Amino acid sequence: MKTLTSIALATTFLSAVPALADKAAVLTNYADIAAAGYGDSVTTAKALQTAVEALIADPSDATLAAAKDAWLASRVPYQQTEVFRFGNAIVDDWEGKVNAWPLDEGLIDYVDAGYGGATDENEYAVLNIVANPKFTLSGTEIDATEITPALLSDTLHEADEVESNVATGYHAIEFLLWGQDLNGHGAGAGNRPATDFAAGEACTNGNCDRRAAYLRAATDLLVSDLEWMTAQWEDGGEARTTVLADEDAGINAMLTGMGSLSYGEQAGERMKLGVMLNDPEEEHDCFSDNTHNSHYYDGLGVQNVYLGTYTRVDGSVVSGESLADLVAAADAEVNAALLADLSATMVELGELKAAADGGFAYDQMLEQGNEEGEEIILSAVDALVKQTKSIERAVTALGIDTIAFEGSDSLDDPDAVFQ
Amino acid sequence: MRHLLIALLLPTSALAGVDEVIDSHILPGYAGFAAATAALSQSAAQDCTAPALQPAYHAAFDAWMGVSHITLGPIEEGGLRQQIAFWPDAKNSTGRHLGALLAAEDSAVDRPESFAEVSIAARGLFALERMLYEADLNGYAAGSYPCHLVQAISADLAASGQSLTEGWESEHAETLRSAGAAGNNTYLSEREALQALYTALLTGLEFDKDARLAQPLGSFERPRPRRAEARRSGRSLRNVTLSLTALRDLAEHLTQGQSPQTRAAFDRAITAAEKLDDPVFEGVNDPSSRLKVEILQQSIASVSEAIQIEIGPLLGVSAGFNALDGD
Repeated sequence: MKTLTSIALATTFLSAVPALADKAAVLTNYADIAAAGYGDSVTTAKALQTAVEALIADPSDATLAAAKDAWLASRVPYQQTEVFRFGNAIVDDWEGKVNAWPLDEGLIDYVDAGYGGATDENEYAVLNIVANPKFTLSGTEIDATEITPALLSDTLHEADEVESNVATGYHAIEFLLWGQDLNGHGAGAGNRPATDFAAGEACTNGNCDRRAAYLRAATDLLVSDLEWMTAQWEDGGEARTTVLADEDAGINAMLTGMGSLSYGEQAGERMKLGVMLNDPEEEHDCFSDNTHNSHYYDGLGVQNVYLGTYTRVDGSVVSGESLADLVAAADAEVNAALLADLSATMVELGELKAAADGGFAYDQMLEQGNEEGEEIILSAVDALVKQTKSIERAVTALGIDTIAFEGSDSLDDPDAVFQ
Repeated sequence: MRHLLIALLLPTSALAGVDEVIDSHILPGYAGFAAATAALSQSAAQDCTAPALQPAYHAAFDAWMGVSHITLGPIEEGGLRQQIAFWPDAKNSTGRHLGALLAAEDSAVDRPESFAEVSIAARGLFALERMLYEADLNGYAAGSYPCHLVQAISADLAASGQSLTEGWESEHAETLRSAGAAGNNTYLSEREALQALYTALLTGLEFDKDARLAQPLGSFERPRPRRAEARRSGRSLRNVTLSLTALRDLAEHLTQGQSPQTRAAFDRAITAAEKLDDPVFEGVNDPSSRLKVEILQQSIASVSEAIQIEIGPLLGVSAGFNALDGD
């Protein structure tokens, strides 16, 4: 009896030691957070759709402002999903449909004379689809009399194989709602009048019916694209199935997403380069002056994945076993450092957001010689770079250091270029 | 006896490879870049006109190709890589920012500290290339505003070259050498030093393949020869060849000659580049000459593959994150 008791005690004791966090549970929670994030993106895009219909039905300052507010709200959950992009091929292959940037907006609608014309890079930089129902594209006659989601996605998006020919997604919609930001380094966003969507004589800048049709088609397309991605993360969806199929590869995908977004994409391409170019066009959400929020929620998404928790737009929380649990079990010091780095980044991004919310616009921060703005942005860049080092250390600690090397097409398919 | 002991110990220490990279690759590379950019700046001060300055320009760019793949150390801290060589430039930022400086005759060119505030798009090797090779820009006379701009860009490059070599000599070489030592907060272990160099090696190849070659290749239906790097100065292929040569040197020192498969793959790629008679990749428009550029691209992919199969396990590392991970 005594023996049995001690065995029972020993068993209890053993099971109480969190020696091995459960990778499958961590991955399931990751997929749950993705499904919730994309689901929230659908919900908020549908609210945008409703607001766009109200704007088209009755163009006024109030309905335009409501549509802009709905767009801004829709960016909050979406930006938190950007961390799923790198590491998950299904997301990376798809994301250009909804979030491509930067864009040559002259493809879509009228632009200021200072914007310039066709360039070496893009001969369709001023195509102006809104004003032209028929045009020639790469030698093909295009009938754009009816502006439909299919026309935008199949014919016009990345037309002529130019990435900045962005015909769909958040930033195309953003341009249609705000218009160009012509304030340069001054404060203020784009200032499109609501009458750009008005019927009859009240219409400003011409072709209001086509502009409205474009806005409606782009918004409808955004909703259906987001619905598709949400389904990929739900039970049985391809994205979920893929991350759950191989535990180490799945964990690696999580860390790859965190590191690639933190370093090459956010710290480098989006933030530091903008400062070094001193160019207001280097704002990620340039028409709406929402770049600070874009950066903030990108950073939050990275932290969400590590902590295994996501606060939904309705305030409810999705959480479960986390990557932090796994790393803590492998190397407590690495985990502590990464937790601290992620918090420090959110403090820096929070300061950036607070400064911009307080009236110090992101494009002002980018101005040549603006030391204060440069300091605010580069502090956040430094924090992101620092956390990337800790993410690399987490990869090493977990012993899954086969971070996908982007140029590895040749490993997957040595004959790819000859096909 | 002491010599024998050292000889026995050296090959077993992975850090010996790090030392060798520092002493035989990085420090001489940056010293060469500093010297070449200093010569460029002196040459510009004496005679700023385009024909006079072009030889010094090529020498400086050649020297840059010897170190452009070194992503660690002072270059990262200062964001100097893009300040020295801002490319690709999908939005024609260099054209726009240079145009604005020229139109305004911006006095930022008068003092180095004010020129240091100018957009990186109007600084560095690619801004200078436009001034020296674009037909509607390079006819400027001595003493003119464009002449002062050329002198300012050259002096700015020389300052970058100087600060990089000083940064390595005075600090980062020792930081890298002492990886894993108490108090080293940059490289917490020897492995992290090796990983940083290994990542630089693979990232350099990725840039050759996915930017220098992929940009002009575009797609079969839509080739993009005008996107070739440094096409104005006729250096597009030359840059690929020099980059591969520098990366082969890095691999050799990093593994202390213990990577024969990688060496062979590099030799094949460099031979393919040398045999290609297409200095600015104009041939991408033509199916048969395009294939040769694609074969070069494929041979670079094979080098990456060899490195991941051979050097990764040899050093016990995998690639970390790199600056190209974004879009």
